[in-house]
Parts: sequence; structure tokens; C-alpha cells
Amino acid sequence: MKTVLRNGRLLDPSQELDIIGSLVIEDDQISDFGDDVDEEGADEIYDCQGMWICPGLVDPHVHLREPGEDQKETIRSGTQAAAAGGYTTICCMPNTSPPLDSPSLIDYILDQSASPEAGGVFVAPVGALTVGLRGDQLTDLAALKRAGIVAASDDGHPIQNSLVMSRAMEFCVQLDLPIMAHCEDTTLTAGGSVNDGAVSSMLGLGGMPRSAEEIMVMRNCLLSLHTGCQLHVMRVSTWGAVEMIRQAKYLGAPVSCEITPQHFILTEEACADFNPVFKTLPPLRTQLDLDILHQALADNTIDCISSDHSPHAMYEVQVPFDEAPFGMSGLESVVGATLTALVHTGLLSPLEAIRKLSTKPAEILRLEAGSLKPGETPVAQVTVIDPNVEWTFDVNKTFSKGKNNAFHGMAFKGKTMLTFCGSEIYRDALLDSKRYASIL
Amino acid sequence: MSRNLLDIRTLEPQDIHDLLKLAQNFKTQIRAGQTLTQSPQRVVGLLFFEGSTRTRVSFEQAANYLGYRVSNFASGGSSMSKGETLKDTILTLKYERLDALVMRHRSSGAAHLAAQYFGGPVLNAGDGQHEHPTQALGDALTILEHKGRIEGLRVAIVGDVRHSRVARSNAWLLHKLGAEVRFIGPRALMPVNMSMLPGTAFFDLEAGIEGADAVICLRLQRERMQDGQISSVKEYTRLYQVTRSVLRIAAPQCLLMHPGPINRGVEVDDASADGDSSAIHDQIENGIYVRMAGLHWVFQEGSPQAKAKTTSIAAPKRSPKSARTVLKAAQGKAKK
Repeated sequence: MKTVLRNGRLLDPSQELDIIGSLVIEDDQISDFGDDVDEEGADEIYDCQGMWICPGLVDPHVHLREPGEDQKETIRSGTQAAAAGGYTTICCMPNTSPPLDSPSLIDYILDQSASPEAGGVFVAPVGALTVGLRGDQLTDLAALKRAGIVAASDDGHPIQNSLVMSRAMEFCVQLDLPIMAHCEDTTLTAGGSVNDGAVSSMLGLGGMPRSAEEIMVMRNCLLSLHTGCQLHVMRVSTWGAVEMIRQAKYLGAPVSCEITPQHFILTEEACADFNPVFKTLPPLRTQLDLDILHQALADNTIDCISSDHSPHAMYEVQVPFDEAPFGMSGLESVVGATLTALVHTGLLSPLEAIRKLSTKPAEILRLEAGSLKPGETPVAQVTVIDPNVEWTFDVNKTFSKGKNNAFHGMAFKGKTMLTFCGSEIYRDALLDSKRYASIL
Repeated sequence: MSRNLLDIRTLEPQDIHDLLKLAQNFKTQIRAGQTLTQSPQRVVGLLFFEGSTRTRVSFEQAANYLGYRVSNFASGGSSMSKGETLKDTILTLKYERLDALVMRHRSSGAAHLAAQYFGGPVLNAGDGQHEHPTQALGDALTILEHKGRIEGLRVAIVGDVRHSRVARSNAWLLHKLGAEVRFIGPRALMPVNMSMLPGTAFFDLEAGIEGADAVICLRLQRERMQDGQISSVKEYTRLYQVTRSVLRIAAPQCLLMHPGPINRGVEVDDASADGDSSAIHDQIENGIYVRMAGLHWVFQEGSPQAKAKTTSIAAPKRSPKSARTVLKAAQGKAKK
């Protein structure tokens, strides 16, 4: 089988490549790319004029909800959503039921994601850092690493005890395993559901102060600096957190961080109608935060963009705001949201956007992904994005079981058209059939 | 098309005037022993997920005077205790053909959720720490009766403003009718962003109460001590108890008000609670008439703004600072 993606804009941050050209996928591998490729013997050709041909996207932060919470999502539906979003590698979080704190559960995730019914993307599990995500006793991280975890995290149950976190980092240095940390001092956020600010004051909703995030970002950065443990700060939301990370990087700490589209597009005012789809963790902040987060995206203080894909069943979300769970289903809206808010506004170049969506998260978590170089990844991982197609995001047309998405009804410019992970795993309905030629 | 009474913040001043006018008329008629023109047979559901004596009895009385029938749901004995979601409870009551719903719930915004699924009129009898609109209307009627006006008065609200739905509803109502609102209390019990509420914050009781035409004391919840938001009842009492001597700093004939239940010897001393200036009993009685007004008003043709969905947030007009400028200023300080 030989597939030619012809005449697109080849964007590969791993080689600083941004040229017009074609790419050839032959027997599951990228065999050639450039402005002069051999189309001889091609079985199918896609005319990619005006589109981006880039490495398959990599999401460092996804909740697949299996095992235990299949009313929200399954590995099957979640990986299909990932393929439709343009992802070929996703990292799944350990806060399942039971949590991913033992090697047999990691085996289960890897088996399920490799099933032919799944979406065909690589799933890289993130293991629990403490047993039961309880924040006290460390898991058997060496065994978990042997089972296949790419990082360790307690995600939404952030470790409060500094000694436990310090021990975890010391052990992870030895194992060469990155720690992903959701940074929140939960003593300051108890009972909170929105940013502690305008909306909480006006509507009488419990507030989550920015200092709760910044204190833990600072603590974790300092522990990373002093232990040498690689730290990835999940979903930053405040200007203060960004400044802490900038400082930590300046001091030489091995620190990286991510942001979600909801945190670089929306503000706390979205919560003013008490609609729980806008209830995120950390909470949506203010316009001032947005301005500084945008600068930090442009100057690479923020390394990558994640979806923090957090699907929930609608009956779990259609409750009073303070009772609703945090997070939104995001895998299928990241490309549209990122291109609309960051690329078409001139904040990020196409190459920088793809770096943050693919190459950089792959580099941080040392995944075999994020590159178009032949042989660099186990199989071809390629995503074709039409940056100019205008569409309206509709949760009812998504593959994810979670229909809780704050961008429902929003006009986007830019969409994933094709995803290849070995073979073609997603083709968008908006892709003009005239662009496709099959040679029999 | 009926309408809801979910909050004061999104009401037009004209709506508030209409509601107070209705309440005054009801009061005159009831006091004169007149029988009211019977309203069409309506059934009002009282759905109280939080304990309440006075508000529930007040709504029952109001419904009785209007000739409505009342159907009571207590959360302990209802399907909610069997794990039903609020949405399904509301939908059930809708198909039980209730004409209106009065709801109290521990969550801010719960009344908005109820209005979204119920379809008919919903009256908010207190939602979390958000609003308690009928309490504010009763308080406004009380002030109006004693002072003859609301515009131009200075009203001090003393206590736990941060966690108080009574404070929020009262502040918006008094502000919309042209009064000067002052909030008095310790910093930890004030909302984080004061510019989002229509009033000026004072941490000192005497400074805040100076020249006040009415003082509304808020109930102090015991949880605030457990949370460490105040160190002790004694400390709070020393700093914020409204006493007869403190009231001397206020304007002459200053009204003393309290939504109840009172912690005697904490928020107010005996002498002022039982004194001539106390309007606490008037507040209770007026509560009935404003709830009659509310139950009558929601069945009238609604203005579009009183729908379930609120508009986006906007800081009170009087406030010179937007949330953004406040944050910018804070950032400037942080950078220095």
C-alpha cells in the first residue's frame, strides 16, 4: 500500500521544516517527503493543496475513564475521538476506578487500546504516583515503568505533603521517569468551584484562589530544581504560575508545562450563567491571565497544548454548579480552538502551533512520535489539517461519549482532515472527495 | 408566558417598584380584613432542600391568602433521598402539573437550574450563597414603611457578607432603588472582589455605621469559627455587635433589622433587638405580603429579562473599577 499526500505544506518542527511538498506513506512507514517524491506505484493520492501535513498530534493529558467509569468514556470511544481530533499518541491519566497503580492495570490499558475496535492511536499510560491516589504511599514505580508507563502523576488528587512529593521525585530521578503534576493547594480550594474573583463574589459560588495554584507550582518547581526530577506542570491557568515556571526554567530546573484551549480562550465570566460545562480545573481565570498566557505561549514558556480531555455523562453535568464534576471533553475541539485563537490571530506560526501540539509533548515524555522523519517513529504518524475550513463545533457530532464541551456552538477555522497512524484511521466528512484519487 | 423570580440583580427597578406596590396593596387589604378577589385555582409546590421555618411558613401564608393550594416537599422524605437528581425531581413536579415552584437549595444557581427544567414560574426561596430575593423585598418594604423612601438612604449591612444570600439580594435591591449601601465585616467574611457588589466595604463598625438610616445585621454561622474565618464568637462580638451605643453613631431613628434567626448577644444585643428602633417583627410580617406579590407577579405577562438565563456579569454601575482594572492594579503591585 502506497499513499501519497501531495502538494501540502509540510510542517515538521523536529527538523524545523516548513516547505511545500509531498509525503509518501508506504507499508505503514513514512518512506519519503519533500518537493520531489516518487509517486510511482501509488495506490492512492490525496491532493493536499492548501493543507498542512504534519506529524501526528500528541496529547499529554487525556482521561479515557476505563476501567470503571465507562458511562463517561471508554478506551474505544476515547481513542476514536483522539483519531478524529488528529491525535496519533495520547497519554491517559491514572484517575480511573480503580486507579492505574498496578502493572496489571497498565497491561489492561495497553491491551484494550491495541484492540481492532479501538481508534488505532497509541495510548501511553501515566501511572499513579501514590497508591490509590491517596497522596501518602508511593506506588511500585519501577514495576509500573516496566509495564509501560511513560510518566507518573496523581493528577486531580495533587500530593499535598511536600515530603511525599520530594521522595517521589528522588525515586523518579533514579527511574528517569517524568512526573506530571496538577498544582493545587487543596486547603485553599476546599469548597471552591470557580476562580476566587468577580464571579465568585457576585454569584456566591465558592472561590478557588490563584494562589492555590501558584503555591504548588512554586513548591513543585523548587523540588524539581533541587532533586533534578523532570517535572511537567499540567494545565497552567494564572499569570503567576507562568512567571514561576519562567523563573524555574531560568534557574535550570527540568520543568515544562502545558495549557488547554479552555484556559487560553475563556474567562471566569463564562460561568456567570451557572452552566457547569464551564467548570474546569484549574478554574477559568481573567482577561489579564489570558493576555499573559498568550505571551507565554508565544515565547515558549508554555511548552505544549493539551486537551485535558475530561468526558462526563450528561446526567453528571446537569446538576447545580457546585455539585458538578470538573473538566470538559476536549480531544475533538483542540485543533479548531488552537488554530482559531492562536494561529489565525498571528500569535503562533503554523510550525510553532504544531510544535506545541506534537513535537514538544513527544519530546517531554520521550514518546516515539512528533516527527515526519522516516524511521523516527515505529509507524507513520501523520495528520493533515485544513487550516482554512470554517465550521461550527457541535458536540452531537463527536466520537467521545462525553458531550460536555464548553466550545459547543462556537465557530472555528481549521480542522483535522486526515489522520494516519500506520494506516488511515480518520477521514473527515468535510474533506472534498475530489481531492482523493484511488489508482486501481 | 409566566416569569421567574430568581434573583434581584437582573430585575429592572420598575419590576421592583411593581412588586413593592403589589405587596403594599395586599397588606392594606389583609389588614382591613378584606377578602381578596380569588385567584384562579393554582397549586404551588414548596420544595425546601434546606431547613427553613420562617420562609416556608411565610410562603404558605402568602399562598393561602391568595387562594392558592400548597403542596409541600421536604427533601428528607422525597425522592432526592433515594438518589434522584435535582433535574429529575424538577421534571417530576412539572408533570405533576404544579403551577409554580418555590425552591430553597444549598447550591448557588440551583434556582436557575430548576427554572430551566420546570417550564413554569420558579421563585427562589434562597439558593446557596447567591440570592434570597423575597427576603430583600420584605426588607425593602419595611424600610419604605418606616422611612417613606429608599432613594438617598444609607443602609449598612453588617456581618458575613461573603456567604450571605440575604446580603447580595438586599444590596442589589437597595442599590437599584437609589440607596447607598455599606458592607461592614471582617475581611475574611467579605467577598474577594468587592467591586462586583454595589456597595462600599468597611472593616470598622463605627466608621461604617455612621449616619446609617438602617442597619441590617446578618446571621453569623457557626461554621465560620470552625473554618478559622473568625477566631472566636467573643472576638466577633467585640468588633461587630450592633449595640444601643453603636446605634447612637447612626442617623436618628435608625432602623435595626435582622433576617433571623438571631444569635442574641452576638450580632445584636438585647437592648437594641427589643428596642424601639427594631423593625425585626415588621420584616417577618412584610415577608408574607412580598411573597404574595411574588406569587402573583410571576403569573403575569413577563418582561423578557426575568427569564431563567441571566445576562453576562456586569459590575455595578456606581463602581469605578472593573474586575480587570482591579487585577491590573494588583499585578502592578505584585511586580513592584
